[in-house]
Amino acid sequence: MFDKIAGRALVPVGIVVTGFLVVCFVLLYAAIKNVVIRDSVGHANNLAGIVLKSTRYAMMKSDGELNSTIIRNISEQKGVEHVRIFNKKGVVAFSSKPEEVNRQVDKKTEGCVVCHEKADAKTSVGNMQKARTFKNSAGTEVMAIMTPIYNEPECANAACHVHPASQKILGTLDIGLSREATLASLASIRMEMLIFSLLTLVLTIAGVITLLKMIVLVPMQKLQEYTERSERNSTLSHPTDLPYELDKIAKSYYFIRIKLNEIERQSAKTVDGVSACRNK
Amino acid sequence: MEQTGNNETEALDDAASDPRASLRRGLTDEIKRLRRFSNRGLWALSLFLMVSTIAWRDFWFLPPAQEIVASLGAPPTPMVISLVLILYTFSAIILSLSRMMAGLRHSSSFCHVGYLLVFYLFYYFAEALPDNYWAVFGAGFTILCLESYRIWTFCSENILKKVAQLAYVERTGRLPVEDDSGLSD
Repeated sequence: MFDKIAGRALVPVGIVVTGFLVVCFVLLYAAIKNVVIRDSVGHANNLAGIVLKSTRYAMMKSDGELNSTIIRNISEQKGVEHVRIFNKKGVVAFSSKPEEVNRQVDKKTEGCVVCHEKADAKTSVGNMQKARTFKNSAGTEVMAIMTPIYNEPECANAACHVHPASQKILGTLDIGLSREATLASLASIRMEMLIFSLLTLVLTIAGVITLLKMIVLVPMQKLQEYTERSERNSTLSHPTDLPYELDKIAKSYYFIRIKLNEIERQSAKTVDGVSACRNK
Repeated sequence: MEQTGNNETEALDDAASDPRASLRRGLTDEIKRLRRFSNRGLWALSLFLMVSTIAWRDFWFLPPAQEIVASLGAPPTPMVISLVLILYTFSAIILSLSRMMAGLRHSSSFCHVGYLLVFYLFYYFAEALPDNYWAVFGAGFTILCLESYRIWTFCSENILKKVAQLAYVERTGRLPVEDDSGLSD
């Protein structure tokens, strides 16, 4: 393979095009994946905000039943895996799964540790830090958002509540959304990019092979056949059908060969003359 | 030890007295050197595979990325690292192809392993290694394969040339006229 022009020319082209395409494919896919995930986290944050706004009135009125109903209804929406509201102590106050209510959550678990890493809990975190991903007991890939419920003047001043104005956070909302749609979109993008990359690769390699064959290999083959033919036959013809520099090479070969034949003929004549003289 | 020294002195005397032996030795040494040099690309590729294995295992011996970031400061974003990686891959490929075209004897394979290790580390510090591992691996594999191919073809061509010169020296006792300038390229 490597002792032929085709092999020597195509191997570097193949390595370079394939390698560079792979690098670009992986980097582009990583960038697209980041954008898709950032968008879905933003979407989940918005949804968490909507849930908080929906439950605000019920919380102000301290209406537990209304809160539970709102949360149950939201969790029935397709793609919502769970909705929970924790109080300040980390106890589940409301949940889409009734068995979770009044259960204590460890502050060091994933999702809580982002704010409760140190003794003084953080009161605000970035959008991406609020998100966590895991596989739930049903085997579904879930992205959950933990949003703090901030104290507001209406809460601190409400007659039924005992939250002092100095308390910044009253609890947290934890909403889990299925990642299946996001993962399916990513898989589809990946497949489309893979097909596109393969097509580009095949087209590039095929283009290079075709051009190489047309411009270099076929004329070289003709030149080789011409030289071999002229070695066999004593009568030489002008080289034809050879493009570019190969035509010049073939013509040079043709003139050298003619001169060589002439020299051979003259030396043969001389030898004949010498032997004729000797015979006389 | 003393005997080895004597042998070397004798060989040098022989070489001085017989130019054909001196040329033969020079050419043979050059062929050996080229044979050793032709494996350089493969050694670099093996080293890169080793580095990639360590990166694949998430640099288990290093402290967590957060600790390093806390002490050294924030790394560049994965997007910036990726842009630099594309730029580096493109430049390295163009440079290697230019060297191949010019037929230069240049041995830069091992420094590429260093650059690629730095990319792995930056992605590790930016906590984006799992997403970008294959990009660095692909870039490294491409560049080092191309470099290996370049070094190997350069050495093969020169070994053939030196073997032909050696045969000429054996026949005539001197180097071909066009290569009298020296033994090494």
